[in-house]
Amino acid sequence: MMGGYGDVKLLNDDGTRLDGRAIDEMRPVTAEVGVLPAADGSAMVTHGLNVAVAAVYGPVEAHPRKIQRQDRAVVDVRYNMAPFSTSDRIRPGYNRRSREISKVTAEALESVVLVERFPRAKISVEIEILAAEAGTRCVGITAASLALADAGIPMRDMIVGVASGKVEDIVVLDLDKAEDNYGQADLPVGILPTTGEIAFLQMDGDLSPEEYDTCMEYNFKAAKEIHEIMVDALKAKYDGGA
Amino acid sequence: MNGAAEGAEQRLVTPGEVIGTSLDKRAGIGVLSQGEGMIATRLGWVRENNDTISIDPINSRYTPRSGDLVIGIIEAVRNNLWFADVLGPFNGLLPMSLAPWKVEFGAARQFMDVGDVILARVQEVDESHSVVLTMKGVGLRKLKEGVMSSVPMNLVSKLKGENDENLRALSAASDCRVIVGENGRIWADGNSKGVDLVRKVINLVTKEGHKNTFQQSLSDMIGNTPGGDE
Amino acid sequence: MVELVPSLLRQELSNLADVDQRIDGRSRWQSRDVKLEVNCLYNGDGSAKVTWGDTIVYAGVKFEVRTPWPDRPNEGSLMCGAELRPIAGRKYEPGPPSPESIELGRVVDRGIRESGCIDLESLCIIPGEKVYGVMIDIHVLSDCGNIFDASALAAIAALRTTIVPASTFDIGDDHPLIVSKAPMMCSFTRVGGRYVLDANEQEELGGNERIHITLGDDGHLHSLQKGLKGVFTPAEFAEILDVAQQRCTELRDMVSAMEAN
Repeated sequence: MMGGYGDVKLLNDDGTRLDGRAIDEMRPVTAEVGVLPAADGSAMVTHGLNVAVAAVYGPVEAHPRKIQRQDRAVVDVRYNMAPFSTSDRIRPGYNRRSREISKVTAEALESVVLVERFPRAKISVEIEILAAEAGTRCVGITAASLALADAGIPMRDMIVGVASGKVEDIVVLDLDKAEDNYGQADLPVGILPTTGEIAFLQMDGDLSPEEYDTCMEYNFKAAKEIHEIMVDALKAKYDGGA
Repeated sequence: MNGAAEGAEQRLVTPGEVIGTSLDKRAGIGVLSQGEGMIATRLGWVRENNDTISIDPINSRYTPRSGDLVIGIIEAVRNNLWFADVLGPFNGLLPMSLAPWKVEFGAARQFMDVGDVILARVQEVDESHSVVLTMKGVGLRKLKEGVMSSVPMNLVSKLKGENDENLRALSAASDCRVIVGENGRIWADGNSKGVDLVRKVINLVTKEGHKNTFQQSLSDMIGNTPGGDE
Repeated sequence: MVELVPSLLRQELSNLADVDQRIDGRSRWQSRDVKLEVNCLYNGDGSAKVTWGDTIVYAGVKFEVRTPWPDRPNEGSLMCGAELRPIAGRKYEPGPPSPESIELGRVVDRGIRESGCIDLESLCIIPGEKVYGVMIDIHVLSDCGNIFDASALAAIAALRTTIVPASTFDIGDDHPLIVSKAPMMCSFTRVGGRYVLDANEQEELGGNERIHITLGDDGHLHSLQKGLKGVFTPAEFAEILDVAQQRCTELRDMVSAMEAN
């Protein structure tokens, strides 16, 4: 992540951002569960222009044997960006960035799924990004949590993915694509809404400890809003909704 | 308005939701005790009785329990052992000693091969969640005729009805033998018209089992068929 | 990717076929409901989503600018690929592209390419120097039977509503991609001993070989593929070709109706 390029202005004179948002305002989020008939659980989440679809299969016997754990289930995540998800096409195939995101997302989800209930088993989580506009790992985490809940996998909490950052020396909530490309810092997190614990954390750029605190404050605020949307999506299907 | 079963509250909760204090109740299925509070770990309906709070989950995978009647499909054969898919996290193991016939060592495949459908019972589930099946028991056998289908786990009891009344009515109306395994698989055998009715009912359960109009729709479907209770 | 076929399923499909019935109540040449959406992917130059029964497929079109092949200096290129990732179903395992996904991509590719619906010379920017490469990516999200027809429909629908992003490459103004025809694919599977149209997942599981036929606007054949183990007779082929002629016309009308909006 580079420092701001001098010729790209990311904040308007009145302090709003290029898309009109206030510095502590998040992009619109929608969520729907049970969208993939073949999966045990599934969800589609949009966050701004990001679109993520997640499917859960499991618990099943963990194969190959070498990944099996005798005392608990493993959560196996595949985060993948579709070739048409970005403005420049992504060649299908092994992608190091996706591999890393898959790993840390799995480790986050393993922190909330009650994995001890299913020794020697595997819970597969497939995350496909259909459209990317900054914040895909966060929307992926949100979609994965919903898909796990839809599948009936026991969890002590869901995880809400959200990011804040810094542009032109101002801390802002929920970076969009231009802000992510030309801004000064990016702090994506995965928050447990009930306990306030954090299961996912990455950061790059330049933040003072105070700026970090503001980022986190914004992240927690947004996580609360997103969590309500997640709960509504789960209940809408079954609670005598329309 | 919603699909909570008998005895469950009309309260739908999501994972992580706080549903009460643990001071006077025990945590049942789908509930975790955390400090002084009880939280739901599953999406489902809260069920509270005298001493326990639990959740009726909306969705779940079959969890084998000792004594369960299950319909399985043979997935692999070894010299003295069959592996069957019973829709649980792990395959069920059927040892030669618990097969319904006397089987010579190495001759397992002659009796049952990959793809065969069996009616079996769960003999035991050990601590590592290995499932042992038995076919020694009344009615347990290889299912050579008929059709097989399945419904989501949480709709098995809806399909069977209170005291199996739906099942009995369906059997009568379709003039078919109908068996519902605890693992959500269903087997039916009879004339093609009857099997057709069974398929329609399974479809109805899958699509509308969560609605409270379901029981009426089911009665209409079964009742209005020639041969049904008129 | 080996699936477990229950013995009872094969029997049932055979019994049903004997009395001209199918497992989900459809008639022999009846397709499941098909829903088509276009312009549904933000970063796609063209895009489509097909919901075919419970099968769900996305297709996205992306452009790149590159140098032409030396032996074809005035032509751009067209390439179609497909991914069958684990999200699509329990039977799909992670790993390098499977023969199944490669076959799917190539069969859809041939149908579009051989119809001549895209004039490759129209993709030329500067002869010998710069041409457009058009990439169609098929992404299967849910395989509940007949991913071939769903993928082919998504691919052609996406192409027909594609906008060439000329402005992105500083070449000119964006303009619609010229797709002069609408090749359509129709797939048949041998289930219970006879061919049926649009097999669902149960029929594919208990069925045998499949035949994919892509027809152009004039009813000409543009690509054929027989997949999986099995054999068929010329008479059987003639019968399904007849059905394909009608069905492809219906699919073509669906895409036209979509474009009219």
